[in-house]
Amino acid sequence: MEADTVLKAENIKKLIGNYEILKGINFSVKKGEFVSIVGASGSGKSTLLYILGLLDTPTEGKIFLENREVDFSQEKKLAALRNRKFGFIFQFHYLIPEFTALENVMIPMLKVGVDLKRAKEKAEYLLERLGLKDKILRKPYQLSGGEQQRVAIARALANDPILLLADEPTGNLDSVNTQKVMEIFQELNSEGTTIVMVTHERELTRMTHRVVEIKDGEIVKETTPA
Amino acid sequence: MKGNFFISLRLFFERRRQSVIATLGVVIGTVAFVVMSSMINGFQKYFLEEALNINGHVKIFVESTFREDRILRKVYKEGIFLVLGAKPKSVKDRISNYREILSKYAKDENLLGITLHLVGNGVISYGVKEKPATFVGIFPELENETLKISKYLVKNNLGQLERNKEAVILGIKLAEELGIKDIGKKVILLSPNGTLHRLKVVDFLNTGITEIDKSRVYLHIKKLQDILGKPNEVNEVILKLKSADLAPVYAKRLTKETGYRAESWQESFKNFLSIFKIQRIITRSVVFAILLVSGFGIFNIIMMTVLEKKRDIAILKAMGYEKRDIIFIFSLQGIIIGVFGGLAGNLLSFEILEWLETIKIGVEGIIRAEGFLLDRSISYHLQGFIFAVLVSFLASFYPAYRASRFHPVEVFRSGS
Repeated sequence: MEADTVLKAENIKKLIGNYEILKGINFSVKKGEFVSIVGASGSGKSTLLYILGLLDTPTEGKIFLENREVDFSQEKKLAALRNRKFGFIFQFHYLIPEFTALENVMIPMLKVGVDLKRAKEKAEYLLERLGLKDKILRKPYQLSGGEQQRVAIARALANDPILLLADEPTGNLDSVNTQKVMEIFQELNSEGTTIVMVTHERELTRMTHRVVEIKDGEIVKETTPA
Repeated sequence: MKGNFFISLRLFFERRRQSVIATLGVVIGTVAFVVMSSMINGFQKYFLEEALNINGHVKIFVESTFREDRILRKVYKEGIFLVLGAKPKSVKDRISNYREILSKYAKDENLLGITLHLVGNGVISYGVKEKPATFVGIFPELENETLKISKYLVKNNLGQLERNKEAVILGIKLAEELGIKDIGKKVILLSPNGTLHRLKVVDFLNTGITEIDKSRVYLHIKKLQDILGKPNEVNEVILKLKSADLAPVYAKRLTKETGYRAESWQESFKNFLSIFKIQRIITRSVVFAILLVSGFGIFNIIMMTVLEKKRDIAILKAMGYEKRDIIFIFSLQGIIIGVFGGLAGNLLSFEILEWLETIKIGVEGIIRAEGFLLDRSISYHLQGFIFAVLVSFLASFYPAYRASRFHPVEVFRSGS
């Protein structure tokens, strides 16, 4: 295994009932890479992302995080790894509606025991970086779709993850906001953040380093955009 | 832990309407518990306190074991018919060795006092009115040292019994029924042996216990001995103990040691005690039902919150929050509801009790009072608070547990 491999999936299979969603996927991400996973609806790309992000367990196969095999039997350790190593962004922002933008970004930090003052400072910094300086005290319903997604990105970055996992992050956005989010991803990536993004919008893959195409639970093609 | 507190508190205060409704349920439950406990126990405590003050803790008396048919039964066993209405024989009920009992137990470390009674029944009349009464012959000083009788005398004229052997103290309700409104009136006492005695009313006994105030007549023991034709006789020895709880032990011991029947107050008042027990059970059941309804309210509200917040719970789990964190977040909301509800309920019940204390209404039944008899013990407030928190915690635990079982992937996939 190469030293700069952040995440590696070995022969990942996932069965739900009798239906095999993933059929032995081998996949790895290197530090600083921006990888996109594409495929039609139902191809298994989101399932793969959930397994890579330790949200779901594979029926068969192994996941290596920073060259260490992940033990899926230890729920507490999985939760700790999700908290410290990964940042998640979903198609829907999943912000907690009762909390302000600032509080939503603070939540992952509070789980690791960062004190309220420090968490607040960092959340302010991240939101400011994502152009939401004036809106930190707004609640999600007071923000536009693009702004909500930017708060979700700030929340994903709160604990300085080694890997950002995005599941259709622009699926719910208009073209202007889609462009903004992709620019943020590129900027983060250029600063060293490793990103794996699942999308069905092929034009977005042009902004990534590598495109992995999944069909019927198998990787059918890996390409590098021109 | 910090994050859990933060999330739980924010959710509680942000979801004000639900939180207030759930808290109100707990407030009502706590108020019901504190106020009802205070009223029921206040009444019971008052009754027992006053009844024990005037009657003592243990009574030694002669138990009537005489049966008209006892000789016949020795011969014929079951084959006899008892003829009712036969003239009863006079049975000696005196405690002959009361001096010995007095000297033996007077220095007992658990004894507060010991007094002697001669008790008999008769009729008292004033003008055309006649009422049955229980005559109690007492040594006034000894009685007051033991049972603090003067506390219940309207005119505080106990000394008159000592000075004037023709003096009598009437229960205030008995006096009312006879039409006697002031002291100095002459009443006629009709003894069981048919003799008439003119006595002067020197005071009224007002214990607040209707049964006593309606029937009791106090005289000097020497006078009653004369009236009943029982010179130097005593038929009851009354003991007042340091602790009322010691009464059953002492009653048992005294029965064995004196050869007479000794009865504890628990035995004398067993009918009242069982009524009180039923009252307490009913009160507890009503309060339990109210708290149960509050509990269901909390359960519903937290369950609804949990179902509404499935997505938020899923994202929290994706961000590394564990099952126990989720349980903590939602259980803590139940506990907060319990704490706020318990505190507000206690404050409100305190105010209600203060208000009830000011209400002057004539209560007349087993006891007479001019308002509610309340027991203002802090323990009811503490118990109410503990119940409130406990019920709220239990009501929120299952929804919290359910929340912890949500699988984030299933939630994300369902798009809920």
